[in-house]
Amino acid sequence: MDMSLFLVQLLNGVQYGLLLFLIASGLTLVFGVMGILNLAHGSMYMIGAYLVYYFASATDSFLLAVIIACVIAMIIGIIIERFLIIHLYNRDHLDQVLLTVGLIFIFNAAQSFIWGNDPLGVEVPELLSSSIQLTDIVEYPVYRLFLSVLCIGIALAMYYVINNTKLGMMIRAGESNREMVENLGVDISKLFTIVFAVGVTLSALAGIVSAPIVSLVPGMGERVLISCFVVVVIGGMGSIKGAFVAALLVGIVDTFASVLLPGMSSMTIYLLMALILIFKPQGLFKS
Amino acid sequence: MSVFSTKAEKVFILAFFFIALGVPLFFNENTFYVNKISTMLILSIFVMSLDYLVGKTGLISLGHAMFYGLGGYLFAIMVPEYEEVNFWIYTFYVMAASSVIALIVGLIVLRTSGIYMIMITLALAQMTFYFFADSTEYGGLDGLFIYLKPETSIFGLNFLDLDNETHFYYLCLLSLFNCYVFFKITLQSRFGRVIDAVKENPERATALGYNIFHFRLVAYVLSSSLAAYAGYLFSLQYGFVNPTMMSWEVSASALVMAILGGLGTVFGAILGVFVYESLHYGIEHMTQYWMFWMGSLIIVMVLTLKSGIAGLVEKLVTGKRK
Repeated sequence: MDMSLFLVQLLNGVQYGLLLFLIASGLTLVFGVMGILNLAHGSMYMIGAYLVYYFASATDSFLLAVIIACVIAMIIGIIIERFLIIHLYNRDHLDQVLLTVGLIFIFNAAQSFIWGNDPLGVEVPELLSSSIQLTDIVEYPVYRLFLSVLCIGIALAMYYVINNTKLGMMIRAGESNREMVENLGVDISKLFTIVFAVGVTLSALAGIVSAPIVSLVPGMGERVLISCFVVVVIGGMGSIKGAFVAALLVGIVDTFASVLLPGMSSMTIYLLMALILIFKPQGLFKS
Repeated sequence: MSVFSTKAEKVFILAFFFIALGVPLFFNENTFYVNKISTMLILSIFVMSLDYLVGKTGLISLGHAMFYGLGGYLFAIMVPEYEEVNFWIYTFYVMAASSVIALIVGLIVLRTSGIYMIMITLALAQMTFYFFADSTEYGGLDGLFIYLKPETSIFGLNFLDLDNETHFYYLCLLSLFNCYVFFKITLQSRFGRVIDAVKENPERATALGYNIFHFRLVAYVLSSSLAAYAGYLFSLQYGFVNPTMMSWEVSASALVMAILGGLGTVFGAILGVFVYESLHYGIEHMTQYWMFWMGSLIIVMVLTLKSGIAGLVEKLVTGKRK
């Protein structure tokens, strides 16, 4: 593998990893603060992608479509938390699994009802559709670079919010001791609604921004959910820092595996996970 | 000590096996329904094995379909292509091979529990799914065909013809019955009582000197190899295996069926399968968006029925209200 090809793969791996981080951070945030395992997290990724497809063709503006899709995703998140998840706080993991599996079924049915089962695609917005010349023969699309920058921006924003704001303080407190936060007079139900809506929106946002570089097919949500689980298990459930490191690791390993080991590329990240679990059953960064 | 844990169980099990024995006579003109019910019996074995794992040992697996699929694949891979093999011998092979795999997988997944185990079992099952779906050797997404069904002679006696729907039905019914009895015996044995203790209070069980990891591992292997047996029967019934058998939807709906029936009740698995599958079949008949209604149903069920249908039956039989 020559240098330029290596660079392209590395950029792809980082970009994929950052996208995974966006999704995994939502999942791990919701689990860390609320103790809820949301299996329908991947479905929100799918819904985000389909929503942006719909609004991009309806409004002719990608940016507008992104904003509308985000808002809708957030509203869906609030509705789910207020009407369904709210009943699960004192129930065991199994009920959470069941209820969110029910949600996956509903989202999948909605997707096939509204958009059908044929693969769809979203065009890369014109402003970002060019490519950068890396060397004489190797080019790299601007949109993918934009994606990486955007994800890093969001990661930094999350870091800032969690460490420097009142909301972040409550989130950190919620992660370490839920009952205590409640006893201290924090409106925990409002906090939970915000965290859930934000978590779900992060996943939808990942679907929204990756819509131009993937094809929209039924089942895309579950595929992403599984990779996201691998990230969260490696990083340590509930740890956002762990999710960041693990997402980059998974993204890079997965990308290189598909180039270097084409026969077994789809298995590599699971082998990586099994290997890490043997030495660190709680993940790299236990929260 | 009675064989049955509750009155509801006694009523249900006696009624179920009595009616089930007569099903082929009732539908003797219509093999479609006999086949359909055979599939439900096979699913009941699968769900019962999951119910044992989740309900009795408290280990939640969202990847149990991996063993269901493996049961079929192991047979399809081991069997010589155009040769009639013996059913019982291959039953042994399939279960032995799947036990070895379960042992290795168990060593990895049982290092964790709770939420982690849910995610890891799901991830490993998806890994196996993609392994078979991407392989050219094992037929990719189309899977493998089983051209010849095995013969079932035992000591020279041959009274079951697997190509005959009615015979196959009785084989499934017998398997389910054996499986039920097996789990009942296991649960009431010393081993079963330690498993109960491990579920209720792992720390105390450890303090009493039990190695809880070993007990969990044995339960995991038992449960997985029976799931593989169910998958093996399924592949014999339809004459093929494909990766869909081990998709996450199969694992998830098995979990739904186990919970619908009443987790940890063993007999509830049968109840869950028959209710879920009948609903599934009925709704699928009316609309292609059956997933929407199934999803809604699952959500309503979680929010309202806390001990599954088995709990409901128990209430009806004893007339008690909580």
